[in-house]
Amino acid sequence: MQLKAQTKWGWTIAAYLFLAGLGAGAYVTGVIADFAGEQWASVSKIGVALGFPCVLLGTAFLIADLGTPANFWRAYRKPGTSWVARGTIIISVFMVVGFIHIGLWLWPFGVLDDAEGARQFIGVVGAIFAFGTMIYTGILLGANRPIAFWSTALVPVLFLVSALSTGMMAVMLIATIDGAAHSGPISTLVRIDVVLLVLEIIVVAMYLQATHRVPESRAAARLVLAGSIAPLFWFGVAVLGLMVPLALELLGYYVLDGSSAATVIASISGMVGGLCLRQVVLSGGIQAPLRAGRFEFAIPNT
Amino acid sequence: MPRYGFVIDLKRCYGCYSCQVACKAANFTPQGIDWARCVSAETGSFPTALRQMLPLVCQQCKEPACKEVCPTGATTQDENGIVLVDKNLCMGCKACIMACPYGARQTVGDWQTYFPDAEGQLDPYEAYAKKQWEKKNGYGMATKCDYCKDRVAEGRKPACVESCPAKARTFGDLEDPESEVSMLIRREYGFQLNPEFGTDPACFYLPPR
Amino acid sequence: MATTPTVQETNVKEDVWINTSCGGCYAQCGIRAHRVDGVIVELEGNPETPAGSGRICAKGTAQLMMLYDRYRVNYPVKRTNPEKGVGVDPKWERISWEEAYETIFEKFRNMKDPRGTYFQATTVQTSEIRFAVPAFMKAWGFKNYWVSGGGLWCGNGAHFMNGIMHAAWSIIPDWNYNKYTLYFGCSKGHGAGHAALQSAQWAADARARGMKAVVFDPFLSTQASKAHEWVPIRVGTDGAVALGMINVILNELGIWDAPYLKLKTNAPYLIQPDQHYKRDPETNKPLIWDPADGRAKVFDDPSIKDFALEGTYEVDGTTCTTAFQLLKEHVRVNYPVEKAENISSVPAATIRRIATEFAEAAEIGRTITIDGKEIPLRPAAAIFFRGSQGHVNSGWNCLEIDLLNHIVGAADVPGGSMGHGPPVSFGHPDTGKPETVPYACPDGLMTVKGWVYDHKPYPLREPAPPQRLDLQDLYPCSVYNAFTICTPEWEKYRKDFNIDYEPEIMINFGSNSVMTMANAEGVTENFLKQFDFVLSFNIYQNEFTEAVADIVLPDASFLERYTPCVTFPSTFCHPTGMDHWVWQIRQPVVEPLHERRDFNEVMLEIAKGLGVQDKYFQAINDLIPVRYGGEMDDEYKLDPSGDYSWQDISDRVLKDRLGPDKGLEALKKTGLEKWPTKVEEMYWRWFTPVRVPIYFEFFLESGKKLQKLLSSFGREDMADYRFYTPLAEWFPCPSHEEEDPSFDLWAFSWRPSFHTQSSTQNNPWLDEVSVNDPFVYLMQINATTGKSKGLKDNDMVWVENPDGNKIKGPVKLVEGMHPEHIGIAGCHGHWARGTPISKGKGQFFDDLINPDLAHTDSLTQGSDACAKVKIYKVAGR
Repeated sequence: MQLKAQTKWGWTIAAYLFLAGLGAGAYVTGVIADFAGEQWASVSKIGVALGFPCVLLGTAFLIADLGTPANFWRAYRKPGTSWVARGTIIISVFMVVGFIHIGLWLWPFGVLDDAEGARQFIGVVGAIFAFGTMIYTGILLGANRPIAFWSTALVPVLFLVSALSTGMMAVMLIATIDGAAHSGPISTLVRIDVVLLVLEIIVVAMYLQATHRVPESRAAARLVLAGSIAPLFWFGVAVLGLMVPLALELLGYYVLDGSSAATVIASISGMVGGLCLRQVVLSGGIQAPLRAGRFEFAIPNT
Repeated sequence: MPRYGFVIDLKRCYGCYSCQVACKAANFTPQGIDWARCVSAETGSFPTALRQMLPLVCQQCKEPACKEVCPTGATTQDENGIVLVDKNLCMGCKACIMACPYGARQTVGDWQTYFPDAEGQLDPYEAYAKKQWEKKNGYGMATKCDYCKDRVAEGRKPACVESCPAKARTFGDLEDPESEVSMLIRREYGFQLNPEFGTDPACFYLPPR
Repeated sequence: MATTPTVQETNVKEDVWINTSCGGCYAQCGIRAHRVDGVIVELEGNPETPAGSGRICAKGTAQLMMLYDRYRVNYPVKRTNPEKGVGVDPKWERISWEEAYETIFEKFRNMKDPRGTYFQATTVQTSEIRFAVPAFMKAWGFKNYWVSGGGLWCGNGAHFMNGIMHAAWSIIPDWNYNKYTLYFGCSKGHGAGHAALQSAQWAADARARGMKAVVFDPFLSTQASKAHEWVPIRVGTDGAVALGMINVILNELGIWDAPYLKLKTNAPYLIQPDQHYKRDPETNKPLIWDPADGRAKVFDDPSIKDFALEGTYEVDGTTCTTAFQLLKEHVRVNYPVEKAENISSVPAATIRRIATEFAEAAEIGRTITIDGKEIPLRPAAAIFFRGSQGHVNSGWNCLEIDLLNHIVGAADVPGGSMGHGPPVSFGHPDTGKPETVPYACPDGLMTVKGWVYDHKPYPLREPAPPQRLDLQDLYPCSVYNAFTICTPEWEKYRKDFNIDYEPEIMINFGSNSVMTMANAEGVTENFLKQFDFVLSFNIYQNEFTEAVADIVLPDASFLERYTPCVTFPSTFCHPTGMDHWVWQIRQPVVEPLHERRDFNEVMLEIAKGLGVQDKYFQAINDLIPVRYGGEMDDEYKLDPSGDYSWQDISDRVLKDRLGPDKGLEALKKTGLEKWPTKVEEMYWRWFTPVRVPIYFEFFLESGKKLQKLLSSFGREDMADYRFYTPLAEWFPCPSHEEEDPSFDLWAFSWRPSFHTQSSTQNNPWLDEVSVNDPFVYLMQINATTGKSKGLKDNDMVWVENPDGNKIKGPVKLVEGMHPEHIGIAGCHGHWARGTPISKGKGQFFDDLINPDLAHTDSLTQGSDACAKVKIYKVAGR
C-alpha cells in the first residue's frame, strides 16, 4: 500500500505559517526588548516594526490560498467554533494591536515614545496574541486527527520554538544591517537564539521519533527522512535551518567576536530553514489508511 | 426523521467503478471530482494474496470532523443526517478536506472541458452539466456527496445505488430497525470505517469475505 | 428511476426518457436515456429488461462522453497524404457527403473484380453488423469478411467448441443454483460482457450465498479477487490441468454422470481400432453396446435397455471399445496429474483436491423440480473464455475444460454450465419467432439451427479450395483466422492457392484492426496496405483510419441510430435462469449530430447507388430466417424491386418477428418486448434429443481431407494434423517451448472490467477511472520476481519477445501475479491523433503478438495471444 501525502496545502500555506510565526516571534522579541532598557530600544523598535507587516504578508498568502479569496471575511462568521475561526480572531487582534503599536510609536505618530507604560501595556497585549499566533497554527494542524504526523502536541511546540527563533533572527538581521543597534543586545539575541536552536533540534528529534506509532506517520517520517521530501528536510531544515545558524552563531560569538557577516548569514539561512520546516511538516501530511478486514486502503489525493 | 445511511457489501463488490462513473454523471461533477471514488488494495503475499475494492461515499458522520473544523458555518447537517456545504458560506480554506478521515471532500478550481483542444465553447452536454453543477456547487469551495439528496426527495435512489451491477449497495433509514440497511448491519456484521476517529459514519460496510 | 419527469425550470421545453439499448459493449443492456431540450443528460439502466435489469455499468454511463465528444468524426473526410502506414498523418480533408458517395461509387464501379472487396467489422457493435454486412456481401458478390480482433480479442476456439457442445456462442454458470465453479481465464459475472449486469448481480448473490469459486489465472484478476481460491497457473496450460482433473475424476475417484453420458453424449458409441465409429452396415448409424441384450445396437434403437459406457466388445469380428473407455484410458496414460503439474505449475495435490471438490459438488443423481418438470440439478460448472482460448491450443483448451461439465452432467441443467442465450428458443407467444432448437445429425450429434455466422460449428465445413482471400474456406473448424493475412506471406499464400483475384477495396465498420489483431506493423504492412481503397465508418479517428483509410465516414453512434434487434440472435444478452426473453431495439435518442449518418443507412445508400439494392433486399429476406429464427411471412418480406429505407426494413423485421401491432412505432415507445422463458428453453439439455461428442470422431476425417487438400496445393505445411484427433490433447504454444533462458517471463494481456476492446480508452470518464485504478496503466509483475531483477514500482522497462518486438512501460510490483509472468492491460497505449485522451497511456500489448502459422491453432485458427519475453530497464531511467 502506497500512502500518499496531501497536496492541498502547499507552499502558500507554508509561507503563511512561516511569516505569521516569524512576525509574531519578532514582535515578541521587540516587546521583551522594550522592558530591557535603553540600549535595547532599537532592537525593540525593529521587533515591533516587523510584527504587523510580516503577519499581514503571511495572511495575504493565506487568503491567496483560499478557494475564493474574495470571501475571506467569511472566516469571521463563526468565531470560536473551529481553530481556523479562532486563529482568524487571534491573528486579527494581533494585527490590530501590532498596527496600533507601530502607528502610535514608530510611524506616523510618536505619541508612545514617552509613554512607556502605555507602550508596554500594548506590547504585552500584542505579545499575548503573538503567542497565540505562533501556537494556534500548530493546534490547527493537530486538529486533523486522521493525519497523525500533524496530530501531535509537538507541532505547536515546534512551531513556537521555530517562530521565536526565526523572529529573533529577523530582528538580528535587520539590527545588524541597520547598524543602529548596540552590539551588546545583538550578541545577547545570538546567545538566546543558540539556546532556541538547540531546543528546536531536540523538538525536531522528538517529533520525528514520535512518528513510530501508526503506519501513516511512519510513512510520513520515511518521506521526510528518506523519501521525496528528504532533500528539503536534510538540506533545508537540518543544514540551513539548524546547523548553519547554530554553527555560525557559535563561531561568531566565541571565535569571530560578534562578526556581522556571521550573524547576517546565520539569520538568512535560519529563516529559509524555518520556511522549509513548515513545508516539510505540510508535505508529510499523510492520512490514515482506511481499514476493512485485512485490507488497508490508501486515500487517494483529493 | 429518517437518518439516511448506506450499507456497502464488500463481498458483492467486484470493483467495476460503475458507482464512481454513475455518481459523476448524476451530479455533473467537473473533471477530477469523484464523490463516489473506489480505492483498491492488495494484501498478503503470493500465492495467497488478496485484492479488494473499497467504494467510498461521504460517510455522513453523526460527528463530522469536517463540520468541526469548518470556520464559516458552511458545513451543516440536515434533518436526515446529510452533511451539506453551503456554497454561499464556504470560502475554500480546505480545513475540512484535511480533517475528513475518508477523503470525502474535494475542491475544484474551475470547470475544465474534458476535451483538451476544445476552443472555448463547451459541447451541449458539458454546457448543461456545468449549469447543473453551478446550481448547487461552485469553484474553490469544498464539494461532497450528499447521498443524491435531490434524487432521494424525488423518490429515486442515489445514483451509485441504482447503477451498482452487483447490488452491493443498499440505501435506507438507519433509525428504522426494520429497514434493510439496519437489518444488514445487524445480521451481516456491518462495520464503520476507522471508528477510532469517533465520527460515527452513516455508511456501513459488510466484510469482504 | 423517476416516475415523473423532473421539470424544475419553467424554461425547460422538453424533458423525456427514451428506452433504448446500450452499445458500450456486446452485452447490449437495456437503458433509458434522459433528454432535456434535445440534449441527453443522463443514462440509466432500464428496470423492465432482464438484459441489465435496471443497472448500468461504468462503460454505459460514460457513453454520454462519447456522444458529444468533439473528437468524434463529424464530417466525411478524405486522406490527402498518399503515404499509408502506422503513425502516418493522413492529413484529413473535410469533404461533402456527395463527394464521398461519388468517390465510393466510382471506386466500386471500377473494381477489377467485386470479389476483391473485404468487409471488416467490430465485435462491439454486434447487432449492427448482422444486417448491412451480410446483405452487402451478397449484393455485391464477395465473401471476404472478418471481425476485427476476432482471433485475438474475441472468441475463436471458445465459440467453436461452445457451438458444438452447447449450441451456444459462449457458456456461463447458472448462478441461481450453482455451488461450485471453476473459472479458467475469464471474468463472467465480474464485468465481462456476457449478460454483464444481470450476471454480476446473480454472481454476487451466489457469492453471498456461499458459492465456491476457484479461479485459474496467472494473475489475481477481478474474478480471482472475489473467488474463494485463486490458483496461479502458467498461461495457456488450462487444458492440461483440465485433463489432469478429468483423469482424477474418472480414474481415481470413479465419478461420472452415467445417465448423462449414455443419453446426452457419444460416450457409449463403439469405436473401431481405426478410431472411427463402428457403424451399422444397414443404416450407417454409429453402434452402441447394450449390455442387457449383450449385443450392439444403433445408438437410437428404441429397444435399447442400457448403454455400456466401459468395456471392449466384439462386433461383427471387430474389437470395439466405447468412446468413454478410450477417453478414460487416454487421460490415465497420457495426463497423469504430475504431468499436468509440470506443464502448468499447479501442484498435483491442488489439482487432485479441486478435481475432487468439483466432482463432489456436482451432486450427481440429484434432481430439482422447476415449473412442474423434474430435471437433474448439477450445481457445479467449469467456465472459460479469453484466457484459456487465446493460445495455439485454442479449441482443445476450451473443450478440455468443458469436458469437466459433461463428465458430471452439468451442462444446461440447473446449477451447471449454461449455453449462453440460451440456445433453445420457442419464440414469442404470438408469432413463434424467433424460434431455434438444436437438432440431431444422423450420427445423433447436436446441430445448431440458427447461427450468427455463415457456417455452423457442426457439421464441420468441408475443406475446399479457397475462395476467400484469407483462405478460411480451407479449414473445417475456423471461426476467424489471421495468420494468412497478417504475415508477409499473404501474397504467396494467395498465389499458392490460385486465388484469381486481388484485394481491392476494404470496407471497415468501426473496427480498429491495427490495434486488435497482432503487432501493428505486421497488420498494416502485410494486410491493410494491400487494399487500393479503404472506406471506413467510424465514430473516432483511430490507429486504423490514420494508417490506411482513404475515406472516413462519420458514423452515428448507438444513441443516434435504429437497430431493429439487439438481443437476438441471443449471444451475450440474456442471463441464465428463469426470467424473460427480451427483444430490445435501439433508437435514436437524438438525431445524428453534425453530419453523422448511420452505417446501416449509408450501406443501403451505397447498395442503391451501385444498383444492387434488389440483391440487398433479397439478402435480408434470406438472412432473417437463419439469424432471427423462423421463416418470414410473405407480407413482410422485402420486394427486391421495391424501395425501402432502413426504418422500413426495421419496421418489417419487427412486425414479422413480434406481430403486426409491434412495429417500429410501437417498439419505440417501450424499447423492448418481453415474454417469459420456459423451463424447456432455459434448461433445455434433457428436453432436447441431441447428443454432444466427448470423442471427436469427425475430426479424423476432416483432418485427412484437409491434409489432402493442402497437399494438392503443395502446402501440406499449413496445418499441424495432430490437432485433428478424436481424443482431447493439450498442445504447447511456442512460448512454452522457448529454449533461450533469457526469455524467462510469459507476457499476457487482460481486460479491465470498465473497458471494451479498443473502443473505450479515449472516453475521458473511463480514462479518469483508469488513472484512478492501480493496475490499468502499469504492467504488473510479481514482487519477488521484480526485486530479483532489481526493479521497483514505476521503473520503465522494455518487454521484448524472441522475434525482437518490444513494448515499453512502467512496472508495478504486486503479490497477485504468477512469478513467471508479466500482465498488461490490453488495447491501451493508443497513438492516433484522433484519440488524444488515450494517447500514450498504458501499453500496446499486441505488438508482442505475431499471428504466423506457428502461433495459430491448427484446428480453429485461433491466434496465440501469449509471448515469452525478457524484460529489462529502459536505459537512462
